[in-house]
Amino acid sequence: MFLYYVDLAWRSIKKTPVLSLLMVLAISIGIGITITTLNVYSMMSFNPAGERSDRLNAIQLWSQGVNSWDEYHSLVTYQDVMNLRQSGIPKAQAAMFRTGAAVQTDDPEFVPILRGIRVTDSGFFSLFSVPFLYGGAWDKSVDSDPQYQLVIGEKLNQSLFGGENSVGKTVYLNRKPYHVVGVIKEWNPQPKYYDPLNGAFNSAEQLFVPFSLTPIEEFDVWGNSSGWKFEPMTGYQSRLNSEKVWLEFWVDLPSEESRSAYRSFLSHYVEQQKQLNRFTDDKAAADSVQLSNVAEWLEMNNVVPEDNKILVGLSALFLCVCLVNILGLMLTKFLKRAPEVGVRRAIGASRGQIFAQYMVEVGVIGLFGGLLGLLWAWLALYSLSAKFDVADGLTNLSMSMWVITPSIAVGTALLAGLYPAWVVCRTKPSVYLKSQ
Amino acid sequence: MLTMKNISKVFKTDLVETHALRDFNLEVNEGEFVAVTGPSGSGKTTFLNIAGLLEGFTHGDYFLDGVNISNLSDNKAAAIRNEKIGFIFQGFNLIPDLNLAENVEVPLRYRGFSAKERQRRVQEALDKVGLGARMKHLPSQLSGGQQQRVAIARALAGEPRFLLADEPTGNLDSLMARQVMELLEEINKAGTTIIMVTHDPELARRAQRNIQIVDGQVCDFTLYQGGQAHVAQTEQKVAS
Amino acid sequence: MLNIKPILSTLMRSKSGPVLLLLQIILSVAIVANASFIIHERLGMMQRDSGIVESEILTFNMYNFDPSIDRVQQNQLDQQLLRNLPNVMAATSTNMLPLSGSGWSSTLNLGPDSETAQSTPQFAMYLGTEHTLETLGLKLIDGRNFYPDEINTSLTASGKLAIVSKALVDATWPNESALGKVLYEGEDTQITIIGVVEKLQGAWIDSGDLEYSVIQNVDWGGRSYLVRALPQHHAELKQAITDVMLKENPNRVIDDFQSIKAVKESSYRDHQLMVTVLSMMVVLLLLITSLGLTGMVMFNIQRRTKQIGTRRALGATKADILSLFLTENYIICVVGGVLGGGLAVLLGQQLMQHYDLPQLDLLYPIMTVLGLLLVTTVAVVLPARKAANISPAMATRSV
Repeated sequence: MFLYYVDLAWRSIKKTPVLSLLMVLAISIGIGITITTLNVYSMMSFNPAGERSDRLNAIQLWSQGVNSWDEYHSLVTYQDVMNLRQSGIPKAQAAMFRTGAAVQTDDPEFVPILRGIRVTDSGFFSLFSVPFLYGGAWDKSVDSDPQYQLVIGEKLNQSLFGGENSVGKTVYLNRKPYHVVGVIKEWNPQPKYYDPLNGAFNSAEQLFVPFSLTPIEEFDVWGNSSGWKFEPMTGYQSRLNSEKVWLEFWVDLPSEESRSAYRSFLSHYVEQQKQLNRFTDDKAAADSVQLSNVAEWLEMNNVVPEDNKILVGLSALFLCVCLVNILGLMLTKFLKRAPEVGVRRAIGASRGQIFAQYMVEVGVIGLFGGLLGLLWAWLALYSLSAKFDVADGLTNLSMSMWVITPSIAVGTALLAGLYPAWVVCRTKPSVYLKSQ
Repeated sequence: MLTMKNISKVFKTDLVETHALRDFNLEVNEGEFVAVTGPSGSGKTTFLNIAGLLEGFTHGDYFLDGVNISNLSDNKAAAIRNEKIGFIFQGFNLIPDLNLAENVEVPLRYRGFSAKERQRRVQEALDKVGLGARMKHLPSQLSGGQQQRVAIARALAGEPRFLLADEPTGNLDSLMARQVMELLEEINKAGTTIIMVTHDPELARRAQRNIQIVDGQVCDFTLYQGGQAHVAQTEQKVAS
Repeated sequence: MLNIKPILSTLMRSKSGPVLLLLQIILSVAIVANASFIIHERLGMMQRDSGIVESEILTFNMYNFDPSIDRVQQNQLDQQLLRNLPNVMAATSTNMLPLSGSGWSSTLNLGPDSETAQSTPQFAMYLGTEHTLETLGLKLIDGRNFYPDEINTSLTASGKLAIVSKALVDATWPNESALGKVLYEGEDTQITIIGVVEKLQGAWIDSGDLEYSVIQNVDWGGRSYLVRALPQHHAELKQAITDVMLKENPNRVIDDFQSIKAVKESSYRDHQLMVTVLSMMVVLLLLITSLGLTGMVMFNIQRRTKQIGTRRALGATKADILSLFLTENYIICVVGGVLGGGLAVLLGQQLMQHYDLPQLDLLYPIMTVLGLLLVTTVAVVLPARKAANISPAMATRSV
């Protein structure tokens, strides 16, 4: 029977090509716009940490003085990071910031390139489940006992060493030799959740060096540094000693117990610091620490821009207009066919059968609209990335959309068809039979 | 076969109440060919719609083939229409987008027959009306008489016990009308009960029994049997 | 005008069609009014004058990685080399790029005691030289430029001077001259204002403090440079600069050549995108609404052919029939417009509450309704002309 309805639907669509086209266009445009914005939105609001989202926590401290900042800063000071790194509670932990340097190899022909670098601890790689192609992270001991070692990404390994196992080779950063200890397999979480502050959809760095080298190498800070009070900067050491915040600090706390243990460790720490005349605001120690899991962290750092939320809302309304529009056209079309319905009813079709017949027709139109809408969305996303340089990660039509789009389209169409089909299936057969 | 007892049908609007049928009584036996005549507005069509389960009624009892129709659900009524009743309309009412075979197939689809069975019955029905060779034609490619014969084939395909015809020859010229009438007589001879509404006394006379409806009531039975006619007394009851 | 009452009662009787149309118009007005409001707001942002000659300024980064160089000397030498290049009108080092979305920002106190002193609003802190005004094409409206011998090479040197934007002056010292005023950094660092420029925007286009800028007399060498030259010379300059600089000292990476115009465009890209998407939405919405309306009118005409024929037979002119349909449309449009306007205001309030959007101007719903009246007139007239051509003889035909 279903195939019979599909056959009937197809004939009906062919019979009124303009009206059918109008309906398909209306659905497809509504769907196209909705899916475009929804796709970008879903990509932006994606949580790359997945099930590890709850256990990965970024640390924030209320280290500012009275009458200064009125909310937590996303970054923390160097001295706090150095102190917190002493704790044994987290399964893994990593301080980090972004720097950059000119990269060279032993090959004298190689033209130096400037690359962003992540300065971090060995815990970074296990925290964020970074996959390795060759080798691995530097030893944990390097985090306290600095060594010139580094981890590079697969792409950089390709351009520096032609893709071979480069563990043990030398890479020069600002002319200083570092030994490669690991090569990361292609890894580029979007959004870049471990550091959404410097462009949430920028690519992951291709170079990672030990955080313990910071006071020795005095790496430039390619990110935000903020201070809540004026402190004269007379050199790198004054930065390290200052109250300026410029580091992110992540810990892996796998259980609720470890989280509460760590929280009390933190408030105990703040208590201690208050004794030393830091953390001078009158907030209680326990209220001066904040742990944010990945989901909260992304939300807090406004990874999804407001504009995008507005667009999703407006496009949903737009889809509503399309829905009402096709509802009207559908009603028009179905009422025109009331005489035929009368005949079918007289011949013995039940209301349910008529209803089903028309819902199938609506569904077919919805399906066409959905497929066309998918095409629009694809084109729109393509032109977004071409014309507006929107990050590729955001404009790839996600696989789920191939299923979601036709479902929304068919769903919308069915919703729009519900009333017209109901009206038409309630046609009194006797009314239209007498004369045509 | 068909029994109507004290059927009445009232159409109500805000302003007026119209009594389309009043205490309508009728008994049709299996295998009969009954012609229903009457002036326009007398309730012929209402009677036919009620008889064909296309409309409900306000009071009274209606038994079709032993089934009480009075409180039938819409779905059950549709099933009975599908299995037991065939309709033939003045305007043919073929579905213009479907070819002849597909038109005839419609009731069989709703009845849930297999493709093979449907094909057999369609072929048989169209052969019976002499259009078996034109299965793939569209209704618009046929003459009025041919269209009506397709409609008859469609009505017959489900092998109904009972055929309702509403002015089946009203839109046809006299030659075609005669052909259609002959076809109906043939079908009746094969055992199908037929009730035919018409305003043509010529046609009415060819039926076995003639009923006249005036003001929503049966006012006259005439039995044509072997050319002999006798008038039956109409029972009239005063509405309480 | 035709008698509205019978038309109204026709509309009331054939409920679903007009109701749907009404609903569609209400939603459309709500969306279009808010969308066009946002579009207008964003276009306004994009058209703001930055105060600088955006298209003439070429910027680039130069990253020195030779640990043995004297950065101060190298920086001064590099700038001299830049200024000597053909077609270069001016050049200077800088710590940040205008309109780029990243840079330095600060607030300073108006008095020495940080506990009690008032402070300036947040401003963009440019570090520049005596060439900065000319390179950016800024217009000095009060005071003077830095003298060459006043330029420091570190932030901690004494003799700190500043040239500030007029907007900052107006916000900090309304109706006063800023010349000679002193700003305090901490307790003992003083910065004296020596000049005021008419306009200089900072780096963050979405900030309310965009117009507040300060240029300090510090030659912040070693990273970003600004070079002023006519746009047609930019391409050859890129090559020339790279060649000259690498010849001077090969231990550096030179890249990120782009004009401030390009920097600005990429900063405004999200707004541009918003404008584009919303404009498309508005156009498509109007298109869909009018197509839907056309379809509906066509259907109505078919359904009422006989009625229209009868009217014609009774003496209605073609214009009467046309205005019958138009009046129907206008009734729906006006009712939908009023309700839609209300919904638009509600939606605008929601947007204002949840997002950083200003209050919706009532002008937008009104303009939208007027636009809708225009578009729907076309959408109705096209099929209704057909209706007007229905012959009076249709009245008597029964089929």
